[in-house]
Amino acid sequence: MANTETALKECLSSIDGATAAALVDYTSGMALGTLGGSKDFDLEVAAAGNTDVVRAKLRTMEHLGLKEEIEDILITLNSQYHLIRLLKGRGGSGLFLYLVLDGSRANLAMARHQLRRIEAELEV
Amino acid sequence: MAVETDVLDELRRLRTRVPGLTGSLAATVDGLVVAHDVPETEPEGLAALTAAALGVAYRMADAAARGDFRELLVRGSHGYVATYAAGATAVLTLLAEDRVNVGRLHLEGRRSGARIADLVATRVGPGTGRHAGRPTPTPAPAPGPAPGPAPEEHLATAPPATARPIGTLPVRTPQRPTHPPRPQTGT
Repeated sequence: MANTETALKECLSSIDGATAAALVDYTSGMALGTLGGSKDFDLEVAAAGNTDVVRAKLRTMEHLGLKEEIEDILITLNSQYHLIRLLKGRGGSGLFLYLVLDGSRANLAMARHQLRRIEAELEV
Repeated sequence: MAVETDVLDELRRLRTRVPGLTGSLAATVDGLVVAHDVPETEPEGLAALTAAALGVAYRMADAAARGDFRELLVRGSHGYVATYAAGATAVLTLLAEDRVNVGRLHLEGRRSGARIADLVATRVGPGTGRHAGRPTPTPAPAPGPAPGPAPEEHLATAPPATARPIGTLPVRTPQRPTHPPRPQTGT
């Protein structure tokens, strides 16, 4: 079992091409922990913005009558991938892991697999 | 254009940017309404309460050596009340529903506070408000009538805190901090 800090560190160290990671509470839009990022890439802004993404998708699913759960969300930019993985169970509901990957260095399948493992081990 | 109109425009823009925002109010630190967009609450009462809460918040930040006041967040069972510093003379109070994205509320509230600080500073100058006597980092204009032209402007006509009749201020003036207030710049 890993705590928030360890999980975020593992995101950046074990996932190729990862440049920033955050654990975000989408009930409030605030980050429980952030790692990486820079002056030009403010993870607090990313946390608030991606909260809207997750909420919009959840609302859409509700309107469509889908009784499903979001496992992850992939956003592909020109030179980056953004991965959002929702936490399941053990008091982790209402949280998501947010991962920024460099498109030229990342292996998307591997990143998704690693993120699933890190999420499973994370204890908030 | 009067400073009230500019600030009101800013408040309206804020409302479109933050889903779940139900009201916003810009006031001077001594509790006078500059502009408001609060359909369901009485702005004067809210401005006075903001000033009172601000007095406590200043003293709390000071007593705990946390530096200058930046923001104040109150959560009730039906939503949030957030107050952000807008320079040394004004504050921004936002009312939001419980389901609001607090992260976004903070981001937009801080930005908006900085913009309102600029508006108030350029239109009125630093010569009014509770901190009028405090040293400011930018040179204050010579004492005299504030440059705000409209006589009905609260900011321009607000008397110095010392000249205010007893009982009109719902707030105690906190002790002056040793450091001059630092106006927030847009981040």
